[in-house]
Amino acid sequence: MSFDFSGCAFLQPNAVVFLGGLSRVIHHRGGVARFLLDTMTDPLRVNLLQNGFAHAMGAGTAPWQGNSIPYREYCSQDQDGIAYDLRRNWLGRGWINVSAGLANAVVGQMWEIFANAFEHSSTRVGVFSCGQFFKTRRQLTLAVADFGIGIPSNVRLFLGRPQLSAAEALRWAFQRGNSTTCRLAGPRGVGLDLLKELVRKNNGTMLVYSHDGRAHIDQRGETYENLDPFFEGTLVQIRLSCDDRRYVLSEEAPSQAPFF
Amino acid sequence: MYIKVKDLVGENAMTLADGEAIYGRIHDPLAQGEAVELDFDGVQVFASPFFNAGIGRLLADLTSETLNARLKFEHLSDFGARVLRRVIENAKDYYTANEDQRNAIDRIVRDNAVVA
Repeated sequence: MSFDFSGCAFLQPNAVVFLGGLSRVIHHRGGVARFLLDTMTDPLRVNLLQNGFAHAMGAGTAPWQGNSIPYREYCSQDQDGIAYDLRRNWLGRGWINVSAGLANAVVGQMWEIFANAFEHSSTRVGVFSCGQFFKTRRQLTLAVADFGIGIPSNVRLFLGRPQLSAAEALRWAFQRGNSTTCRLAGPRGVGLDLLKELVRKNNGTMLVYSHDGRAHIDQRGETYENLDPFFEGTLVQIRLSCDDRRYVLSEEAPSQAPFF
Repeated sequence: MYIKVKDLVGENAMTLADGEAIYGRIHDPLAQGEAVELDFDGVQVFASPFFNAGIGRLLADLTSETLNARLKFEHLSDFGARVLRRVIENAKDYYTANEDQRNAIDRIVRDNAVVA
């Protein structure tokens, strides 16, 4: 399969992870993905070289540091590697004003995306991530994609409701306490709630595409809709605003009450 | 019993597997009346899967009173404590839900695990 980039001026991080994951799916199914370099503009080619996508796809040029957060492919739940990447290459570049302690807290919340991708999707080709700092808009973006079962399928199977729409399935999955993970019988389903809180408190947005459903979450609320295009997997994109104030996680003061 | 969590899971306490490792060490001693101290010194990053598997599950057969009396957390960061409180709150909701409803959820989880 050949990818033609004519008319494409720039690839957002969500497009980069989609393209990377798709090429691995093609390879996994015995095909070959080819990227037609002569159809790329120079800025696009430079962007894909800089963020390491081209290198991951076989180009000789090693990535270098710029406004892109490196393209990564994770074949296993490498928690230390992912935490290191998030802390150093995403939060640690000085684009967001966070203390070391707060950076660790944000890393923990972003990890929830990766944990969901690994725990729920049963992906066979791994999990893909990439990000970008948009200097003029002062926005920091991170996209994470898997090509696994997809949230709507998981929820339908879990609830035994095959007719449930993708939008309703996503709405269910984003409610606190709801989870389809098969690894643990017992309480679960807090991670996305924490992530939504981070996004809302810091004027960010979270976009989720899974199968034929889309979720959009920001300070104004949550919307869930059905889409025509079908994406075989799940793509989450977080966009955080990099304004000058220090990031916050909660206005709650640390509680002294007993934990239980 | 004293457990230095970093020695078991490293700097990042984030996964179900790491939570299960903690649960496996502390459940029986707690159930048998022993006091347990979990020292999080040196652990930097916390996420809910770790606490769900390690701590939230304790509420399946141990009461809040028992756990408040026997299980102590030391050097837990403010954020770690906040995630833990959220997980415990959610676990209480889960375990106080109608038993039939809970059994149905767990049965579906097991069935799905077999399918997957």
